[in-house]
Amino acid sequence: MKALKNIFKAREISSLIFLIAIFLIVGSINPSFLRFKNLLLIFNGSIVYVLLAIGIAFVIISGEIDVSIGATLGLAAAVSATLLRDGSSWAAAVISALIVGAAVGLINGIGVTVLKIPSIIMTLGVNGVVRGAIYVYTNGKWVENVPYTFKAISQATIMNTLTYFFFGALILMGIVHILLTKTNRGRYFAAVGDNVSGAHLIGIPVDKTKIITFVACGIFAAIAGVVYVSRVGFVTPTAGNGYEMKAIAACVLGGISLTGGVGTVVGATIGATIMSSISRVLVFLKFSSDYDNTITGILLIIIVVADALIQRRVAEKARRKRLLARTSGEGGKNNE
Amino acid sequence: MQVADKPPVNIKDTMISIRGICKSFASNTVLKGIDLDVRCGEVVALIGGNGAGKSTLMKIIMGIYEQDKGDIFLRGEKVKLTKPAAALAQGIYLVPQEPMLFPNMTVEENIAIGFPDKKSELHMKMINIMDQLGWKLRLDRKADTLSIAEQQLVEILRGLLRNAKILILDEPTSSLTFNEVESLFKLVEELKSKGISIFYITHRLTEVFKIATHVAIMRDGMITLKGSVNEFTKEDLVKGLLPPDTKLKTTEKSEELDYTHLKPILELKNLTGYGFKDINLEVFPGEVLGVAGVVGAGRTDFAKTIFGMDEVKSGEVLLNGENIAGVSTRTVLDKGLNYVPEDRYLDGIFKIADVSSNISSASLRKMSKFFLNKKAEKTLGDEYISNFRIKVTGHNQSMGSLSGGNQQKVVIARALSTSPQVVILDEPTRGIDAGARGDVYSIINGLKKQGVAVLLISSDFEEIVELCDRAVTMYQGRINHRFSKHQIDLDNLTAASFGVYEGDDSA
Repeated sequence: MKALKNIFKAREISSLIFLIAIFLIVGSINPSFLRFKNLLLIFNGSIVYVLLAIGIAFVIISGEIDVSIGATLGLAAAVSATLLRDGSSWAAAVISALIVGAAVGLINGIGVTVLKIPSIIMTLGVNGVVRGAIYVYTNGKWVENVPYTFKAISQATIMNTLTYFFFGALILMGIVHILLTKTNRGRYFAAVGDNVSGAHLIGIPVDKTKIITFVACGIFAAIAGVVYVSRVGFVTPTAGNGYEMKAIAACVLGGISLTGGVGTVVGATIGATIMSSISRVLVFLKFSSDYDNTITGILLIIIVVADALIQRRVAEKARRKRLLARTSGEGGKNNE
Repeated sequence: MQVADKPPVNIKDTMISIRGICKSFASNTVLKGIDLDVRCGEVVALIGGNGAGKSTLMKIIMGIYEQDKGDIFLRGEKVKLTKPAAALAQGIYLVPQEPMLFPNMTVEENIAIGFPDKKSELHMKMINIMDQLGWKLRLDRKADTLSIAEQQLVEILRGLLRNAKILILDEPTSSLTFNEVESLFKLVEELKSKGISIFYITHRLTEVFKIATHVAIMRDGMITLKGSVNEFTKEDLVKGLLPPDTKLKTTEKSEELDYTHLKPILELKNLTGYGFKDINLEVFPGEVLGVAGVVGAGRTDFAKTIFGMDEVKSGEVLLNGENIAGVSTRTVLDKGLNYVPEDRYLDGIFKIADVSSNISSASLRKMSKFFLNKKAEKTLGDEYISNFRIKVTGHNQSMGSLSGGNQQKVVIARALSTSPQVVILDEPTRGIDAGARGDVYSIINGLKKQGVAVLLISSDFEEIVELCDRAVTMYQGRINHRFSKHQIDLDNLTAASFGVYEGDDSA
């Protein structure tokens, strides 16, 4: 009974209910939405967002933000695609992409901790730098002609259902989830996001923890970039543009608090699936997919505001209850 | 000031020895060569005014700051405490004044975080320690549901689990209720008998004699008095706190007020809100009415509600006969009632603005229609700076760089600049030094002469004895006793605040 209660208390559950509700509502308007093939498309199409959301979840849980992941994805994709086009091995391409992601993350982390630049400003600046670097690196041209064999792995499925990539992303999510919730050091991330000075006081290496979150975030953006190359098959200089909003919205939808300290990557994954389903939902409701970003933005704002209002109400209610408890006793009544 | 000359302490025998610690921030010298020794099982009460350097010294021991000069020895060995992790590894643990838990984690997670040990072992250890101390605290509660006292218990538990040998308690009783203070003292006794050394920072002198074995008084970055507790009386300690040439001020009462021709300016009729109930009170012009009680008795909630900051459930607030219950704070201000909050950091000041802007911020609407009237702001600022003896380099010094006492004077100045008829002062002298305290008292007496009605909320009962014409005590959200001038004394106020007063009410 207690376990059941805990499950319903989890913030991830409301996200899951929201996801199912979207599917059912859209399905009732246009039944073909719920066809097995379409659902597969949604799940398989969500991998890039899932990877980005897991990465940025590190950063948000630690109380910071990273708006450079779209550009990082783009640069990692451009680098790996160029190498693959020019005949490098897969390993070389993937490792180069990961190094790019880790480097961008390290720069972000050092800026935020050592130079003490607010993360929104630091990563916004880095976003501009990295996006510019893509144009310089590619001369503003598309990177095409990625070997067919590399593109094919994104199509490989298990028994004609979900792709290996999808399962790969799920396994990564599981590993990160266990790391963050079940290990001593993994709890440091939430601790730093929950109360920085408290974390410092009990000897948690705050700066190191924050740098690790940004590096992890950069690496996940790079993995997403490699997956992007395999799925799309070419890279434009604007690849990944605006993906950071989708990833942040995914985290918030999945129950991760923007003030830090609360949330799990499981929630982020559910949120990312919702985000990637929105464009298909629009198609099935016969709206233009031009509305995609607008809806994502509105959703992000609504959830953040609703969450803040609910938390404030809960806190106020608790305060009033405590104050009323004071006068409910008869202790003060004597001699009055 | 004499520091008792004793044979030099052998640092081999002590738990911690501090030698010649100096520390400056920019041009401001905070510590000027501190020597201090603590042995096993000693409780050293560290007392001193704000800005005396107590917290800085403790933060150096905890590795949060690094000293400019001087050494720290632990059990005879010189140590370098460059970061909190290093201090923790040496068995030093600081319980900060405001507990710093992780609100979104459970009690257990809060205690266990940062330990390499297995969770099940830690769990057993926690249970054992709590059993030993006789505490009951559910480990699966979330930290943000705990009261301040419970949060402090969690902090102490954290320290004990780390096998802390040196515990620093920074004003642990400042936000505790009477019963909680008692159980904290019991705990300190137990820790003492286990050989744990404790630094105990406090503003309450009575506590010193209750639980400390040794005492050290700090003033202006130096230790002016130290030794075993039984060598000193309370008067000695007060003398050590004051600058060398000031005479000890005795508590004097002002003249009795003649109420026969006065009409109340503020009347509360059966006022009930969140945290207080059935408050009936009349406040007359030119009087100082004391509201005594322990922390959490409902005094602040009641003041804030009158000021329009919380909902009135029932009852009336009559200001000059007009009911102002439930109107907005802005309207209350315009009608002539002002409130100076208890926590000036949280509610009171605009830290980065300058002193003049802070003083004028409440009366901007009166001074001009749209653009700021800089000249009037400056005049107003200079007037209060000289009247209140606010120590500043000029009216454009930033608020955040002032000392606590001077900040408090600015906040009071701002309230008075609106020329109110009634002022509610909430703990106006909490945490400020003796000199500034005297200035605040003369400001209050000045208001009285001008015919302003002052409602003085204070936990410092000596203050109420000295300043007030009448006093009431609040207990569990209600006014439980009323005292006229000749009845106000420390015994009566204390007994009534703890709900154990046996005598008669008169006023």
